Amino acid sequence: MTNPAIAAAGVVKSFGSVRALRGVDLTVPAGRMAALLGPNGAGKTTLVRILATLLRPDAGTVTVLGRDVTARPYAVRAVIGLTGQYAGLDEALTGTGNLVLIGRLAGLGRREAGRRAAELAERFGLADAAGRKAGTYSGGMRRRLDLAASLMNRPALLILDEPTTGLDPGSRAELWAALRELRDAGTTMLLTTQYLEEADRFADQVHVLDHGEVIAAGTASQLKARTGTQVVDVLLAGPDTAAARASLTSHLGAAHLGAAHLGSAHFDPADLNADEASRRLTILARDGLATLLTVARLLRAGGIEVADIALRQPSLDEAFLALTAGTTMTGAKAR
Amino acid sequence: MTQATTAGTGPARAGERRDERPGLCRLARDSLLIAGRYQRVLRGSPGRLIYPLLQPVLILVLFVSVMQNLTSSVAGGSYRQFLIPGIMIQNVVLTAPVTGLAIVRDAGTGLADRFRSLPMPRSAALIGRSVSDTVVFLAQALVMIGVGYLLGFRVHTGLAGAAGIALVAVAFGTALGITCAWLALLIRDVETAERALFFPFIPLAFVSSAYAPAGRLAGWMQPVARVNPVSAAAAVLRALADGGPLAVPVLHLAAWIAVLAVVPGVLAVRRWQAAA
Repeated sequence: MTNPAIAAAGVVKSFGSVRALRGVDLTVPAGRMAALLGPNGAGKTTLVRILATLLRPDAGTVTVLGRDVTARPYAVRAVIGLTGQYAGLDEALTGTGNLVLIGRLAGLGRREAGRRAAELAERFGLADAAGRKAGTYSGGMRRRLDLAASLMNRPALLILDEPTTGLDPGSRAELWAALRELRDAGTTMLLTTQYLEEADRFADQVHVLDHGEVIAAGTASQLKARTGTQVVDVLLAGPDTAAARASLTSHLGAAHLGAAHLGSAHFDPADLNADEASRRLTILARDGLATLLTVARLLRAGGIEVADIALRQPSLDEAFLALTAGTTMTGAKAR
Repeated sequence: MTQATTAGTGPARAGERRDERPGLCRLARDSLLIAGRYQRVLRGSPGRLIYPLLQPVLILVLFVSVMQNLTSSVAGGSYRQFLIPGIMIQNVVLTAPVTGLAIVRDAGTGLADRFRSLPMPRSAALIGRSVSDTVVFLAQALVMIGVGYLLGFRVHTGLAGAAGIALVAVAFGTALGITCAWLALLIRDVETAERALFFPFIPLAFVSSAYAPAGRLAGWMQPVARVNPVSAAAAVLRALADGGPLAVPVLHLAAWIAVLAVVPGVLAVRRWQAAA
């Protein structure tokens, strides 16, 4: 039998009165790339820090490759690599200096650390900059050096906390290419991200975390299907998204009452998303075609000109919004 | 190139219950690696050594100039010969917080998180910093012996005595530095620690026999001054310089060094891990 790379069950962690994790279950088989998705404060980083043995869970069990993080933290540390939210680098040391130091502290001998540092610097396009201090690196180079440092000890599980946050699109693409290569080589990865399209495109499995609970798990397409929610997509003819939004939201209550006999749909203001730059409104179509009709009617009543309006499948972004809005509402009821 | 990243983590020992705790060899090795890191940083910006080396010069010259004529002789010798070891220890006391501040500044960084996630002993970060700081204490001790000589301080026991003085300065400074690391990690906030750490050291230096024999201090100070570790360290320096009896002051000081290094050291390592 092979142990899953990560097996977490009933993980609870509180900081004072704040319950960061309220019973998280998570299984990642070896060789998979798993994404942990969730808004700020959902508990992603707390979970990552527990997996990386930086924090101890209050309750529940967590094993990494069959090793319990609480009972055998050193055994866990021997098989993981961590790329945290803040670069784990010494800016006063050179790129090579960082890699060799971290490799040796991970247990490599001097010669092996040197060889591995050169190999990884080459692979992440840092060979030319390896002799320069890490403090002089650009954001993208720093991230790549940080990732290379996490790989010095050939970890079986690579844990990445928001690896692409703060990177420009070019650097982000480069980092993703490197991560994909690692995945193809069989490295198990757990990464947290707020960029849903990244999880959508690269992850084998997605776990949606909200308020310290995993509210949904599966492949990206499963999650999208599971919400079952289509989206009304409106392209405005004019630039006034605020007016369009107002005409939709101000009628919410009234539409509910007055238009009920017309087969009106209900929607929550949280289901409405307006993007000024693209003149686009998206509304979660919880009632399918009825939502489309209601939106169309309200826009027309408000005198808003529309260039295009359509009912379509949701993006993972929208599925995510639908999922988290659901728990927020049940959470409120529970309280 | 790609096979390099696949799991190559040695034999799987799934049935094993005990944790793979690194041993003492690993502790020594990793502490030296961390110390080497600080040394390389120091070499990269040697300016950081300027103030630690100017400080003892300034303190020695000012204190000796102000206080030398207050009294002519103490305990049968010249006041200078008595005062200068006290000022040397005062300088060590003023330098020790640097270790603590460095530790607390590093504790919250991504690099500290990386260290915590590596299979290295938890105490290596603290011990490594302390080992690195011995270089500062040693350099200061040599400056103080040199400047002290120019000001009239004589080591009558030759090279061995001078080496002993340097050793005491390094050992006492390191022990105090470890205490400071614990206090700084307790305080957590770097800026608060910057202010707070120097606070206990003012009375620690003054309510001691650093500047005057304990018997000449205000009555309420005397019992404190007699047990004060600063008094113990100053007494050892004086005995080393003048060739006096060493056993009692050395034991007194050794006990203090153990107390200041061991208990706060263990607590500091715990706090360092918890600061994650």
